Amino acid sequence: MKFWLIRLLSVAVAILGCVGLQVAAGSQSDYVQRLLTLAGLYVTLSVSLNLINGITGQFSIGHAAFYQVGAYLGGFLSVRFFHTSGLPPIPWLIVTLIAGAAGAAIAGFVVGLPSLRLKGDYLAIVTLGFGEIIRIQVQNTPALGGSYGMNVEPKITSIAVVWLLAILCIAICRNLLKTATGLSFLAVREDEVASSAMGVNVTRAKVSAFVLGSAFAGGAGALLASFEGFITPATFGMDVSFIILTMVVLGGTGSITGSVVSAIFLSLLPEYLRGLKSASGGPLTLTGATVVAYMVAVVVAVAVIRHVYQDGGRTKINRLLWTFGALIGAVIVQIIASVALNKIGPMHEKQIVINQLRMVIFAVTLIVLMLLRPQGVFAHHEFSWTWLSKLREPKKEVAA
Amino acid sequence: MSLLKLDAATIKFGGLVAVNAVSFELNKGDLFGLIGPNGAGKTTTFNIVTGVYKPTSGTITFKGRSIGGTPSNKIASLGIARTFQNIRLFKALSVLENVVVGGYLRHNTGLMSALAYLPPSINETNRLKAEAMELLKVVNLAHVADVRSADLSYGMQRRLEIARAMATQPELLLLDEPAAGMNPLEKEELLVMVKKIRDEHGMTVLLIEHDMRFVMNLCEKIVVLDHGEEIASGPPSAIRNDPKVIAAYLGEAV
Repeated sequence: MKFWLIRLLSVAVAILGCVGLQVAAGSQSDYVQRLLTLAGLYVTLSVSLNLINGITGQFSIGHAAFYQVGAYLGGFLSVRFFHTSGLPPIPWLIVTLIAGAAGAAIAGFVVGLPSLRLKGDYLAIVTLGFGEIIRIQVQNTPALGGSYGMNVEPKITSIAVVWLLAILCIAICRNLLKTATGLSFLAVREDEVASSAMGVNVTRAKVSAFVLGSAFAGGAGALLASFEGFITPATFGMDVSFIILTMVVLGGTGSITGSVVSAIFLSLLPEYLRGLKSASGGPLTLTGATVVAYMVAVVVAVAVIRHVYQDGGRTKINRLLWTFGALIGAVIVQIIASVALNKIGPMHEKQIVINQLRMVIFAVTLIVLMLLRPQGVFAHHEFSWTWLSKLREPKKEVAA
Repeated sequence: MSLLKLDAATIKFGGLVAVNAVSFELNKGDLFGLIGPNGAGKTTTFNIVTGVYKPTSGTITFKGRSIGGTPSNKIASLGIARTFQNIRLFKALSVLENVVVGGYLRHNTGLMSALAYLPPSINETNRLKAEAMELLKVVNLAHVADVRSADLSYGMQRRLEIARAMATQPELLLLDEPAAGMNPLEKEELLVMVKKIRDEHGMTVLLIEHDMRFVMNLCEKIVVLDHGEEIASGPPSAIRNDPKVIAAYLGEAV
């Protein structure tokens, strides 16, 4: 009884939270609403890819293909059947969401069943190839608009539905990991031969994860089609697959928390950088010398922090102090270097608009994070209240 | 009736005959040893029995049913579990979780129930965890149940592999070099433990081992392989003095 009460309550909180978010966003600009929608879609995409890549260990880099299948299926249905169906927009949106998810799930099954016999790099190549096949096929199908793209009518924007899908995806992955079924998925990731010898049906676990992950990507695709009102094959290129993969790896493969946080971070970071303003209100410009000084400072800080963390003999406090010191040192280095370099004529004259550098900053952020934390920001950890309290405890030694 | 019967089991990899017409028979409750020099085909024999490889010819019968070429996971659910020579734990999982995966084949709720975290799945998971905890007590690992399995010492990892295999509740337990890398004290404990597994848990044990003293003290019947062929079989006392076995291990007298 108590169980169902808590369950009901948490579902209610999720729905209220999402509706609340939409209401709060309603008074904001279209731009903010767009960012919120895209962040929600990317959370769904990265958490669903994490189910395939991180939890079940199947290295798939064709996630955008399933996103595309969902988008085109949802969009096509909207164009053809929205008016005849007579449904109001939001229920219709949910219908396309389910249709997109089902379509992508079938695609996932068709691709997954034969290709999941492959491992590692080979599977990656097959999924990559599949992604390209879908994209090029759509590009050459006049009924779907070819490379001109497809207009999707009606345009329906619902931040609440987008975030509910994201929360559903998170909840399902979290639920899975709490059960023995989820442990069997993790076992497949860890060692296929051993899990098979323990009676785990490896093929079934892999295909299940693949189908589920694809279904969520397809659902997100259907929402994207209705949100944008216009989709082209170029929206679902290889770079989208890679950015989703980056989100999973950066957050820490296998960690749902990591996938969520890095999806939000990576989808908002370029937009934040795009909007950077200088004190006078114009776009932020720096001299070439200052930019170079920033780079030097980053290199110094990363080098010191890496050195400190690779030395196993240090205590936690010592490491923290050194990290802090390295950051302060980097600031000092930056100031000195920029003063010095700005004395050099040509470097002082070259003006750089920072938002043009946003992709460079994006890349540098990734490189720095991977240098300092190759296992991903959250590694295998999940956010939980007990985890928070454990942070304060000293690390336990294993007795032989 | 015999529990496991190999009849002229043969496997060839290209031109290499890894196991050549090996035949032996295990009865319920046996403590059976499989020995031989490196490269004799012992682990390959295990791999045929557990479905990692399909035998080229010959039959393998388990409980009267032919299992040659059956997939590994099916064989596990029929009642054969194994450990691995080169430890293959689920490294990132905790000790307890490793054993829970071993019990997963007795888990009878669907994926949907797990995804929705419904009571059937919760109850099954809790039941498997409780059973896993009991097994950890058998192998003396209960105190490290929450430790990541990769962080265990070598001897502990070997014991965890045994617990994980036992969690499938097999009738036949195959141990591939369970004592490798253990110190003499750990070997003594393992000896007692394997006997206990047979006597108290009623499992038939087939083991590969290089430590002769360990095998001779533990096993009641031994088969010796050399270059993929069976060169001797019988009780330890007979094996110890068999000239063919001595020649296989030490070389022919000049």
